[in-house]
Amino acid sequence: MPRGLSKKMLPWLFLAPMLLMITLAWIAPLVLTVYLGFTDLKINNFLAFIQDFFTDKVKLTLDNFRKIFYAEDPYVSETFKVTVFYVVSVLSVNAVYALILSIAIAYFVKNEILSMILRVTWLLPRITPGIIYALMWIWFIDPRYGLLNDMLRLMGAPEDWLPDSWLLRKPYSQVLMVMINGYVGASFGMIVYTAAIKSIPPDLINAALVDGASEFQVARRIIIPLLKWPILFVTAWQTLSLLSSYEYILMVWGAGSGQGYGIARSAGVMVWSLYSYAKAFAEYLYGYASALSLILVVIGLVLIILYFRIFGFKRLMEPSKVEV
Amino acid sequence: MVVLRGEILVRVLLDNISKFFGKVKAVSDLNLEIKDGEFVAFLGPSGCGKTTTLLMIAGIYKPSKGRILFDDEDVTDLPPKDRNVGMVFQSYALYPHMTVYDNIAFPLKLKKVPKQEIDRKVKEVAKLLQIDELLDRKPAQLSGGQRQRVALGRALVKEPDVLLLDEPLSNLDAKLRILMRAEIKRLQRELRITTIYVTHDQVEAMSMADRIAVMNKGRLQQYADPQTLYNKPANLFVAGFIGSPPMNLIEGSITERNGSYYFETHSFKYALPRDIGSLVASKTSEVILGVRPEDIRVIIDGRGSSDSAIIGTVYVVEPLGRDLLINVKINGVLIKILAPTDIRLESGQKIMFTINRAKLHIFDKKTGEAII
Amino acid sequence: MMRVGIRKRKTRALLRRIAVIAVVLLIAVIPAIPIWLMYGWIISQSFSGRVILGILPSKLTIENWRFLWSPITMGEKEYPNIWPITLNTLFLALGVAGLVVLVSSLSGYALSRMDFKGRTGMMQFIIALHAFPSVILLIALFVILNKLGLYGKGFMTLVGIILIKAGLEIPMATWIIKGFFDSIPWDLEWAALVDGCSRWRAWRSIILPLVLPGIGAVSIFSFLSGWSEFLLVFTYVAQEEYYTLPVMIYHMIGEFIHIDWGMLAALGLFYAIPTIIFFSVSQKVLLKIYVGGVKG
Ligand SMILES: Nc1ncnc2c1ncn2[C@@H]1O[C@H](COP(=O)(O)OP(=O)(O)OP(=O)(O)O)[C@@H](O)[C@H]1O
Ligand SMILES: [Mg+2]
Repeated sequence: MPRGLSKKMLPWLFLAPMLLMITLAWIAPLVLTVYLGFTDLKINNFLAFIQDFFTDKVKLTLDNFRKIFYAEDPYVSETFKVTVFYVVSVLSVNAVYALILSIAIAYFVKNEILSMILRVTWLLPRITPGIIYALMWIWFIDPRYGLLNDMLRLMGAPEDWLPDSWLLRKPYSQVLMVMINGYVGASFGMIVYTAAIKSIPPDLINAALVDGASEFQVARRIIIPLLKWPILFVTAWQTLSLLSSYEYILMVWGAGSGQGYGIARSAGVMVWSLYSYAKAFAEYLYGYASALSLILVVIGLVLIILYFRIFGFKRLMEPSKVEV
Repeated sequence: MVVLRGEILVRVLLDNISKFFGKVKAVSDLNLEIKDGEFVAFLGPSGCGKTTTLLMIAGIYKPSKGRILFDDEDVTDLPPKDRNVGMVFQSYALYPHMTVYDNIAFPLKLKKVPKQEIDRKVKEVAKLLQIDELLDRKPAQLSGGQRQRVALGRALVKEPDVLLLDEPLSNLDAKLRILMRAEIKRLQRELRITTIYVTHDQVEAMSMADRIAVMNKGRLQQYADPQTLYNKPANLFVAGFIGSPPMNLIEGSITERNGSYYFETHSFKYALPRDIGSLVASKTSEVILGVRPEDIRVIIDGRGSSDSAIIGTVYVVEPLGRDLLINVKINGVLIKILAPTDIRLESGQKIMFTINRAKLHIFDKKTGEAII
Repeated sequence: MMRVGIRKRKTRALLRRIAVIAVVLLIAVIPAIPIWLMYGWIISQSFSGRVILGILPSKLTIENWRFLWSPITMGEKEYPNIWPITLNTLFLALGVAGLVVLVSSLSGYALSRMDFKGRTGMMQFIIALHAFPSVILLIALFVILNKLGLYGKGFMTLVGIILIKAGLEIPMATWIIKGFFDSIPWDLEWAALVDGCSRWRAWRSIILPLVLPGIGAVSIFSFLSGWSEFLLVFTYVAQEEYYTLPVMIYHMIGEFIHIDWGMLAALGLFYAIPTIIFFSVSQKVLLKIYVGGVKG
């Protein structure tokens, strides 16, 4: 092999395994999702499809999208509402609450050890394996064994406010959904924000203090404005991942019965992506489920392009960097 | 000239304060009084605790020990907000997300000063510091000198009781530095604010300050006006630190022979006046003799020769422009002499010189304290 | 200027301090109580027959840990023995970690050190993948798994899941390893090349020891993410004997009526052991990765 050629080839040789794996795990399913969204693939023509991708038992059709957009599936609009509620409320926990939390932990608390304890505490939901996190919540909200109702009672909540089941009673179930995902999201926001706060030059904060700012004013006038990009990053990133996340909902509500369908619908926590999942793996309507997913894929791709535009490459890679 | 402040002058008293960071003793047992309206410089090498002391006065750090008094009020436990100090930081610490105008207006906004008044004061200060053209810019668009002025403006606009300046000129080029030095000095005179000025540049301290506190390793070495500091250094550290080129410091011992006292090293012997000799000898025998290069006179052609003259060999001659710095070796001991430029000397040439006895310093070798 | 009395200033300062403490309590401490309670509960529950007030252990017992030496029954249902299930989980985690490290060290090196056309584009592509939520692809991946003949094939299904999981993790892992390669000074490799090493030997004998910490972090990270993987196994594995621990725990939680909190707590702790160990050993590096590599 001529030297020049081998030099050109070498990087691609190194990259080949990665590209192969990415093709298998990302590209092929992406393309396939697009294709499946336009088919009527379901349980009775699935085997034929597996044997031959071009079998005439699977028909190309626009029915799926008609069902979604023309409300032929009556449940779509409710799913949509739940999803919007879910994304907006968890997002505000992630981006806004986590911000105040991080300022409290990384700035207001001056004692290193205390600050460390709080940080680790708030990190736990994120590093705990999902199923254990779900298990602990299922225990915590249990009206007989758990402590949530007791805790609320202690804080003075009247008895008839407390539900007999947090899992089933709307809107308690929906509040619970926000809490479960909110704690995990708050962890994420906290990691990014605390790193950013730590990277603010101490002199800036000292200067503000000398200029006559109280701790709160430092937070509002100095820290938060400097955290502009990290806040935007957390918001953007979480929007995307919330749109498609359903793992915790599945673990907690799906646990009632069968394949993932569980009691999510009656509890009012059926988000879009879980609905798609349930359509595929509980009702075996693969084509329709793919169409539902495809909508998320399109939103995801659009958002990613948008983010590249807004942030630029550099800021996406260093989310915790503060520009001073 | 606008008067930015009322006539409140504040006296600052540091009452035996210390600051420890874990094991590091950044400042130990510091006692210092800064009179109202006085301009005091903190002078010392890097890491000696100057910034730490300033931050304690500002209220950012709480002293590990001791008290801080403004006039007669104990402010040790007060947060910075309640102390009314202005500070220019070593790094300037301009708020990057605010314009110059907003940077300067920030302390006033926090004081809830009415908008028109803020506007008036900001413009006044900006004019005073000649940055009124820059008010719409962000700090990133400013040069070092401009940033320094903005930082100064931000500290002045709130009419502070005490003004703290942490090496405000260290990032500027030499020319701008001299200019700003004069300007700060003038401002301080006009505004009569009690001011503490941190620097590790002795020329800056000497030329600006009413009094200078020399610090080393967290301890106060000497606190005096520039002349005293130069003429009567309290210890070896101050003697070596103040003055450029630095004072010659020669190790030796005091001996007495037939009622005459000598300063003796392994390479030469120097007769001391009787009164000095007996004073020193009564305290210790191991000493360090200090003499500034300008207090040594070269004897040319034997003119003005005396019996206390010392003979040495010229080692190197460094022209300093206005003067010559002659490095003379006496059997291995190197002595620097400042001489007028009209002398012609060659390396290796033998010369004689005498020391101005009135300007002689003698330090105890063990403690480093000055004996005379 | 008006001077406020020192007393008053001190009081105001104190009030502000109290307000700050109140905010910290309200925002960071009180909402953290459920977290503490949950972890307190799972630990004390696993060792006690009964818990008082949710988290105080009483009647200390190791009965809850009986799954370690005897078959698990809950109500009517009998579950597979814990050890094969643990082995499945371990196999999955190790498989993912091995594959990820192997592939991403090669690609991370190429992206960090080699100059080729399309390098920037490749990096942007990887970041984009990293941002893209992979769970949307579950249905299509199911079809692919079927097409490859790996569905419902027991052990081979697990292998398929390893391939998929590793593929999903690789963009991020590549990115992290590239970061570690980036932080190594170029001169080192130059020095090696001048000494007459081939590029391959330079890589092996000089660069590799320097990136070993990075590779270690990535292996731990991908091991943990394989160990915690729930959805893929839950969705694609039909036979009970090829379950992994999280999926088995999930099904046991499903036994609402016969729920045995004590054993579930013990099993949960047992399952969390690797996570706890790795995190307490290498939290600094892992945290760094969690900042950069975030899946929500
Ligand atoms: N926040 C801190 N934590 C730990 N040690 C510190 C801290 N601030 C200062 N120190 C230490 O205290 C000593 C004094 O520091 P300080 O900043 O006061 O020095 P300085 O005299 O201002 O020096 P420079 O001229 O370099 O600014 C140094 O040894 C420094 O390392
Ligand atoms: Mg300093």
